This record gives sequence, C-alpha cells and structure tokens, in this order.
Amino acid sequence: MRDKTSGRTIFAFIGPSVIALALIGIAPLLYAAWTSLHFFNLTRLRQLRFVGLENYQTVLTDTAFWQAMGRTFFLLGTSLPLQLALGLGIALVLHQPGLTVVKTLCRLSLVLPMATTYAVVGLLGQVMFNQNFGVVNQLLGGADINWIGDPTNAFVMIIFWDVWQWTPFVALVLLAGLTMVPNEVEEAARLETKSWWVILRHVQLPFLVPGLVAVLILRTADTLKLFDMVFTLTRGGPGASTEFISLMIQRVGFRAFDQGLASAQAIILLAITIVLAQIYIRVFYKEV
Amino acid sequence: MNLKSMLCTTALVAAAATAANAQSDWSLSEAAAPYAGTTIDVVFLLRPGYEAIKEMLPEFTEATGINVNIIDHPYENALGEQVRDFVAGGDLDIALIDLVWIGNFAENEWIVPVDDIMAKFPELVDPDLNMDDFFPLVLNAFGGWNDTIYGLPFDNYSGLMFYNRCMLEEAGFDGPPETWAELKDVYGPALTGDGKYAFALQSKRNETQSADSFARMLWPFGGSFLDENFRSNLLSEESQAGLNFRQDLMQYMPDGIVAWDHAETVNGFAQGDVAMITEWSSFYSSVVDPDTSRVTDCVGIAPEPAGPAGRRPALGGFSLAVASQADEAEQAAAWLFIQWATSADNAVEYLERGGVPARQSAYDDPALAETYTFIPALLESWAEGVPEFRPRFAEWPEISEVVQEWGTRMMLGEVSVEEGAREIGTRMEAILEASGYYDGDRPLVQ
Repeated sequence: MRDKTSGRTIFAFIGPSVIALALIGIAPLLYAAWTSLHFFNLTRLRQLRFVGLENYQTVLTDTAFWQAMGRTFFLLGTSLPLQLALGLGIALVLHQPGLTVVKTLCRLSLVLPMATTYAVVGLLGQVMFNQNFGVVNQLLGGADINWIGDPTNAFVMIIFWDVWQWTPFVALVLLAGLTMVPNEVEEAARLETKSWWVILRHVQLPFLVPGLVAVLILRTADTLKLFDMVFTLTRGGPGASTEFISLMIQRVGFRAFDQGLASAQAIILLAITIVLAQIYIRVFYKEV
Repeated sequence: MNLKSMLCTTALVAAAATAANAQSDWSLSEAAAPYAGTTIDVVFLLRPGYEAIKEMLPEFTEATGINVNIIDHPYENALGEQVRDFVAGGDLDIALIDLVWIGNFAENEWIVPVDDIMAKFPELVDPDLNMDDFFPLVLNAFGGWNDTIYGLPFDNYSGLMFYNRCMLEEAGFDGPPETWAELKDVYGPALTGDGKYAFALQSKRNETQSADSFARMLWPFGGSFLDENFRSNLLSEESQAGLNFRQDLMQYMPDGIVAWDHAETVNGFAQGDVAMITEWSSFYSSVVDPDTSRVTDCVGIAPEPAGPAGRRPALGGFSLAVASQADEAEQAAAWLFIQWATSADNAVEYLERGGVPARQSAYDDPALAETYTFIPALLESWAEGVPEFRPRFAEWPEISEVVQEWGTRMMLGEVSVEEGAREIGTRMEAILEASGYYDGDRPLVQ
C-alpha cells in the first residue's frame, strides 16, 4: 500500500514534466522522423509515400547541404573566438574593484543587445549597412562599400551582428564565473604576482571553465539555429553566401514545401549538435 | 479545350445565371441578405492595389453586412501562409492566387471553379458580371488552369519601362529605347557615371530574381524555361543569349544589384539615381507620388524594350478564388466579395485609388490615359504578354528556389552562365521527373 501511494506521489511530481516534455519535445521529433522517411511535399500531398532512407541519401550527397553546413561552422569558428575574447575582456574589466554604479550600469546595458529581437537586428542591419544611406558607410568617411550585395562583405556583416548581439552574454556568464573565485585566494595570488595573465590562467580560469563549456554549447546550438537575423538581413544571399544550415532547412521545408527532405536535414543537424555537445562536455569537463 | 473555348464555357454559364438574375432586378444588398453577419478571411499583400480595395471596403460591408477579415502579409510570406492554412483546413475563405500559384492551388483542389460556384449559387451571380469584359490574357493567366477558370483577376500587373525623361533628355535622347540592345549599347554608356546608372534590374534572391530578373531576360531573346517536352530549354542558344545579355548589362547597373528588391529599385528610380527600370505597373503610384518620389515631373512610361524575339514583357498578377474549405455561407459571401471587388462598376474607382483593374471597359475613357500615363503601355503589354512567363504548375515554388540560388550565383560570377543554366536545368528536370511529367502520368501543362 505504501509503495503504491509512493508511486502515485512520484508520478504527481514528475508526471506533468514528463508529459509536457513528451508533448512539446518528443512528439514533434518523432513526427519529424516519420516525415523524413516519406515523400512529403505540402503542395503534392496526393503523392505522399514511404521512401525509406531516400531523403537522408539525398541530404548526405547534396553538396549544397554540406556547403551550408561548412558556412555555418565557419561562422561559428570566426564569431565565437571573437565573442570569447571580447567577452572575457569585458568581464575582467567589470570584475575590477571600485566604480560600483558605473559597473552596474554597464551590466544593465549589456543586456540590451541580447534582449533585441533577432529579426529587429536584421532590419537594423539593412538600414545601417545600406550602401547609399547607411550610417556605417558614413562613419567610414563616406565609404562606398557594398555590404549587402557583396558575398564577402555580407558574411562579415553577419559576423559583426552576431558578435554584437552575443558578446554581452559571454561577458555576463564569465563575470558570474569570476565572482565565484574566493576573494582570499585571488588576493593571495595578487600578493604573489603582479602578472594578470598568471592570475587569470592559474586562479580564475578554473572557475571559468564550467561557464565556458556552457557558452560553447549554447553558442554552438544558437549558431546552428541562427535564422531570423540572417533571414531579415540577407535572406541567405547574395547567392548562397549567407545561407546557413537553418535557412536552408527553412527554404526547403517552407518555401519549396518539401517537408520530408527538410525533416531529414533537421534530424541530421540534430545528430551533429548532440555529437558536438558530447565532445565539448568530455573534452572540457576533464579539466575541471 | 483552348483558351477561347474555355472562356466561352465560363461566359455561357455566367450568361445563363446572369440572364435569370437580370429579369429579377438583382441587387447586391438583396443577394447578400441571407449572409449578413458572415465573416470571410482573406490574405492581402502590402501593395497599392490592396490598399485601394481596403479603402473601398466599407461600402461593401455596409451594403451586404458581410465582414471581410483581411490578413496582411508581404508577398514572400503569402504563399506559405496560404498553403499551410489550406493543408490544415484553416480559416481562409478566399484564396489570393499569384499567377504562378494557380496550378498548385487548382490541382490540390483548394479552390472552387467559377462555373461550380455560379451553378451552386445562381441567385448570387451579378447580371453585370460580364466575363468577356476581362482581358482574355489576364483572365486566363491569373485565374485559369487546365481549361478551367478558378479566380477573377484582382491585382493585375504587367512589366513596364519607367524612365526618367529629364535624365534622358539631358543625355540627348528624345525617348526611351525600343530594344534591349539599344538600351545596353546606346543608353547604357551615356547614362552611367557620377553615381548615376542607366538601368537597374531588381535581382534579389527571392521571387524577384526568378521572375523579374531571370525570366525577364529569357523571353525577349526567344528563350524559355522549358521546351515542348518539358525538358530544360535554358541551354538553348536563345536562352543563353538572354542570360549572357543580363551579365553584360550589369555594367550599367548599381553595384550590389543582386541585393536589390522592388523597394530598392523603385526608390533608386524615384530618387533620380537610376534612369530606367523595368517594374510592375502597380508601382506607378509610388513613382508619381511627391511624398515618395523626387522625379514626379520627369516620369515617362513605355512598354518594356523588345528583344530579337519581340516584346515579351513580364506578366504578373493575382486573382481571387473561393476556397473549397469554406462552408456554404462563407463561400457565398466570398463569391459576392470577389464579384464586387473585380466588378466593372468599381473598376474605375479602383484605378483612381491606386489599383490596376483587368476590366477592358475601365479603360474606355481616353481621358483616363492622360491622368494615368501608364495605361497605354499596360494595354500594349497585355496584348503581347506570355501566360507561361513563369510556369504556373505546382512545382514552380520548388523550381523558383533553384533559379533564385543559381541565377544569383551567375550574376555574381560564382558560376558561368552556362554552368548555372545547366545546374538549374538538371535540378528542374529532377523536380519534374519526381512529379511524373516524364512518365506520361501528367499532362504537360504550364
């Protein structure tokens, strides 16, 4: 009797979460897996049929898919180090003693880019980087740089906005890590050496590693999902120069309406994300 | 059944229904009385023709008691929104159909043929409907699919050449170029320089690239997307000539033209930075409005230039059709709205408010052409347009995506014109093959 009651109690506590997770997370995933095994085009539903792994074969042999994937990782590889370097610099400055009010204001202002809707960032980008009327070219001394219509410049512009929007997040996470360093340890280290690098490397960095791993996982997932800002800013163009993997999936699924192929692409992307997250955890957590 | 007989059939059904109603002294208010209080849902675009009908809408609601719930979308979202709604059995009672969506909507039976609606609700057919009054090309291209009329033309465009008369006169020209070759070889060098450009061809990577840029250069040169067997025709001498011409012409266009959509192009012209553009007739009101244009006194309008194959202007526009998912009262109310919005009686007011009607009778008054200077060029274009300017079958959205990517890459020089055309052709044929066009399963209709 006690066991039965205990089981009900346990279910009452965790049941709602499990059901919510199943409905919100698992069910759509299973549906996507089912869809990915079918020819499922919204405009040709009469031709719906089971095609086995054909969609996966198409994705894995599609050069455009791998180019989009490569472009996405290139973005991650360029913007994430910048965000880490700038974020760490900001965190270290804000960690210095004194100027409490200024630092509080700085912390608050750091939230602003993060709180800006992605789509709004894209629209801001369209205006600010406009070749003829944009403020960026004005600030560059009336330069005539074609930002949106040139493949390389458009990519640079995406990196700029990604760094602008997400450096504050990295800074706040690392600042939280720095506040975890015991004061007496840090003060003792400062008595031992004047080198900020030695203090950072041997005293502060161990406390930053969990935050860095979280940043790596979250920013990797975010970059793989990056859509709104690029969609409103360049729509993946010019050509395919800013077509990242999530834009490609959206294009296939909702502009060409091929839900089967888009689902296969999404599931492959999910698999890659899980593998990457596992690698991050195994490699970096060893150092903690 | 050819275009003529298809239109005849619909016209006969309409005539039978209208004859009966003509004798009974038909009025919109009385016909709509059983449906007062009904709400119908429709997607509209953020364009002048839709604003015009919105301004007129209170009159319809007052007369009928029917409420029209308008859901505004930019063009790029309109297809996706409607497809999802129809697939899910949603709320839309009227389909807004771009001419390239008609095959998709009709083959999926998301819309009801006009004949069926008139047979179902004969008492609702306006005696003045007069299907023969619509421009035949426009009615067929925007509202017809596979020998059946589904929608009535509502927001109607043709590609026109907008030119800055003052800039041309200053450069020594007394009129716009007659041919594309003349535009490139004579007008191009004379009008480009000092931050000004002879021409701008909107080429952003969306439907603008496939329709306004890519297709626009195929047809005047004798090219096309498909040959008579539905195989790619993009590697034909004519298609290649057109696409290579586009590359050559880019030297007289602003940098970054691959990022220019309609807004940038019309704005470039309206600010006096670009001497000539080929744009939809619907942008007329933007370039002559002093609030949005600096060149209102200099705007000249002509048909698009001719190529070796003649004048083959871009053809685009929308029809409104009754959605099959609507219930009976909503279908009736939807038909009354479509009939009213596209009626000959309202056509001139629609024109005056910024729309472009497809009623021939609306253009009878020669005085209108003096006020709306685009009318002569528009009528000439509608006489020479190509219905399959872009194929209108259900596969077009998928093919358009391919054209958008590779067409832009061609313009950027990332691939040669021949490589790009080959890639588009291969992918286009794969899409058509998967749909059964090469097995003889489906008629080669575009």
